[in-house]
Amino acid sequence: MSTVVDLEGVSPITEGRAVGSPPPPDVLLDVRGLKTHFHVMDGTVPAVDGVDFQLKRGETLGLVGESGCGKSVTSLTIMRLIDIPPGEIVAGEIWFDGQEILSLPMAEMRRIRGSDMSMIFQEPMTSLNPVFTVGDQIAEAVKAHRHVSKKEARNRAVEMLTAVGIPSPERRVKQYPHELSGGMRQRIMIAMALSCDPKLIIADEPTTALDVTIQAQILELIKSMQERTGAALLLITHDLAVVAETVQRMAVMYAGKIVETGTAQEVLLNPKHPYTQGLITSIPSNVPRGQRLNVIRGTVPNPFRMPRGCRFEPRCPFAFEPCQEFDPPLLTTDRDRRAACWLLYPPSELPRPGATTPDALAPAAPVARERVNKQ
Amino acid sequence: MTKYIVRRLLQAIPVVFLISVVCFFLMLLAPGGPQAQFNQNRFVTQDQVNAWLQHWCLVRNPGPLDMLKEYGGWLGVWNCHAGSLLSDQNLPNFLPGFLGGGDNGMLHGDWGISIYLNQPVADVILGRLPVTMLLMTTAWIIWLTLALLLGVMAAVKRYSIFDQIVTFFSYTFYSLPTFWLGLMLIYIFAVSLHWFPSQLIQSPRISPGPFASSVWWTAFWTNPGKYGWDVAMHLVLPVTTLVAVSVAGDSRFVRSAMLESLNQDYVRTARAKGLGERRVIFRHAFRNALLPIITNGALEVAFLFSGAIVTETIFSLQGMGYLFIQGLQAHDYFLLMGIVFIGAILVVVFNLVADVLYAVADPRIRYD
Repeated sequence: MSTVVDLEGVSPITEGRAVGSPPPPDVLLDVRGLKTHFHVMDGTVPAVDGVDFQLKRGETLGLVGESGCGKSVTSLTIMRLIDIPPGEIVAGEIWFDGQEILSLPMAEMRRIRGSDMSMIFQEPMTSLNPVFTVGDQIAEAVKAHRHVSKKEARNRAVEMLTAVGIPSPERRVKQYPHELSGGMRQRIMIAMALSCDPKLIIADEPTTALDVTIQAQILELIKSMQERTGAALLLITHDLAVVAETVQRMAVMYAGKIVETGTAQEVLLNPKHPYTQGLITSIPSNVPRGQRLNVIRGTVPNPFRMPRGCRFEPRCPFAFEPCQEFDPPLLTTDRDRRAACWLLYPPSELPRPGATTPDALAPAAPVARERVNKQ
Repeated sequence: MTKYIVRRLLQAIPVVFLISVVCFFLMLLAPGGPQAQFNQNRFVTQDQVNAWLQHWCLVRNPGPLDMLKEYGGWLGVWNCHAGSLLSDQNLPNFLPGFLGGGDNGMLHGDWGISIYLNQPVADVILGRLPVTMLLMTTAWIIWLTLALLLGVMAAVKRYSIFDQIVTFFSYTFYSLPTFWLGLMLIYIFAVSLHWFPSQLIQSPRISPGPFASSVWWTAFWTNPGKYGWDVAMHLVLPVTTLVAVSVAGDSRFVRSAMLESLNQDYVRTARAKGLGERRVIFRHAFRNALLPIITNGALEVAFLFSGAIVTETIFSLQGMGYLFIQGLQAHDYFLLMGIVFIGAILVVVFNLVADVLYAVADPRIRYD
C-alpha cells in the first residue's frame, strides 16, 4: 500500500535551504515575512501575504482581525497544518524554539506538534472525533509524544480533566464527545492541547462557537493554564474585548498583512493605523443610544484583485498620494510599537509617485527570500 | 439491543408477508402457466391437462378468487383438496398440525412441491444453496475488500494519477451490463485463452458428485488441494462478473465517504496532536468513513442475490439463481415462491444486521 499512499508527506519548502540567523533565545516564536497562498480554480488567494511578528517565552499575543483576514491561516501555517496543495507557503521563515520549522521534515514537525506547540480550535463541536471516548483522545496525544504505558496515559488524561475543571473526571474520560456540552468539549480540547506541557499554545478563536456565559470561563481557564504552565499564548480572535482582557501584546491583521502591533493597552487606547482606529470606533458601546453606529465603509478587498498599494487604501478616510501605489511597510514608531501606514512616515521618506523602488521600502522591508516550492 | 432486534424481527413478519402476496399475484397475472409444457403434445387431452392442474391446486386462467385460493393454499390457510378453509379434521386449516390444522403451506413449514422438478421445493433449494452461497460469499468478500482498498487509496491520493485511473475504470465498468461482461470474459479468458473454465462449478471429468453433497465432501477431504483448486478456477470468471460492476460503483462511494471524513475538523485535530499520517487516516478518518459503508456493505448482500441470477445463468452454475430462471420459464410457481421467499428474508435480515452493526460502530446511535 505504501507504494500508492505516501504517508510521510512532503515538506512544503525544500529542505536544507538557506535560512536567516536564529532570533535571541528569549524569543520563542519568530515569524518572518510569511506568505501562504492558496491556488484555487479562479486563481491565487494570498491569504497570508507578508506577516512578521515575535512572541517571547511565556508571553501572550493577540492576533486580531476580521473574518478572512488570514489569522487562522497564519496559525495553521505555524502548525504546518495547511493542505499542500491547494496551499503553498510561498515565502518566509518561522523560528520556533531556536529551530526554523518550515524547513523541518514532516516527521520532525510531528514531534513538535502536540508536544511543544499545540492548538485549541474554534469548533469544539466538530474538533473531537465522535467515535472515540474523550479519554482515549487525550491519552492518544500523550502516547504520541511520551514513552508511557496505556495506563499512565490514561491517568494523565484524568489528571488533565481535573486540571481543566471537569467534575468527576474518572467518569468523564469514558464518555463520548456527543455526551458533553460545547463548553465541556472545549475544556477537553484544552486538556488535550496542554497534556504534553507545550511551550506555545495557539488558541484559534477558542470562544467564538460557545455560549456567551461560557466564553468568560473558557478564557479564564486558558489564561490560568497558561500562567500555571508558563507557556506562551497566541490568541487569535476578532473580539477586541477578549484581547483587552487576556493578552499583553496584540497584532492587528488586515487582508493578509499585519498593520499594527504593540501592547494591547497602547494599541487599544492609542491606535495608529486607520484600520485599527476604525475597528475601535465601531465598537457599539462607544456610541450613545439612538445614534447611528460607526462603521468602516466599504468591504474587504477581493482576494483575487488585491489593491496594488496599501490594502486598506480603498476604505481609508485618510488615504493620500502614495497609498494607492505603494504598500507601506511596518514602521517602528516606538519601542515595540509598529504600524504600517504612510501617515506615520515623515514627508521626506514618502515614495515619490512613479518611483519603482521607493526609498522607504528599503530599510524596513522584511528579509523575505522568495522561494519556489517543491510541490 | 436484544429488545430492539426482537422488535425488528417481529416487524419483519408483515413485510415478508406483503412481499409474498405481491410476488404470488404478479406471477399468476403473467400470461401462460405450467400447463404450457403440454401445448405441443398432441397425445395429451384437455381433460388430462385440467386434471393435472387440479393435482397442483391450480386452474386455467384463474380469476381473482381462484388466485386467492391458490395463494391461500401456498400460505397454508386454504385446504385445497377439501376446497375449504377447514382442515380434514374440520378445524381451521392455518392451525398447526398437532392442533388439528392442515399440513400444507408455508405456515406449516411446507414449501410445496416444484411442478417442474416434481421434488419438494425445500430439498431442491437446499441442494442448490451451496453453489450460490459460495459464489455470493466469495464475491462479497472480494467486493468489499476491493471497494475499500481502491476507495480509500483514491481518497487519500485524490486527483493523483492513481485516483484518475480508478475513476476511469470505475465509470467504464459501471456502464457495462453484467451479462455482456460475463460473455466477453468467457470469450476472452475461456474460449480464446483457455485460462479458466467457462461453465459449471467443477470439472465433470474429476467431479466425485454434486458440489457440496456428502459424496463430494468425502472426496474433498481426501484431496482438498485438487478439488478446492478445481472449484476456485471455476469461480474466477463468475465472481469477476458479479463483482466488477459493483466494485466500480462502490469504490466511488467509499472514496466520497473517505473524502468527507478526511475533511472533518477532528482529522485536523488528530494531525495537530502530532499523530502519524497512517494513524490519522486509518484510525481517525477511516473509522468514521466506515459508518455509511457498513450500511451499504450489508445491503449489498441482497443485491448480490439478484446478481447471482444473471451470473449463474451465464456460467451454468447449478445454484439458486439458475434454478430461478428455470422455474421462471416453466411457470413453476412454488419453486419461484420458495426462492423469492429466501431473497425477502435475506433483505430483511441484512437490513437488521446493518442497523445493528451501525450501532456497534457509532457510539452516537442507541436503539433503546
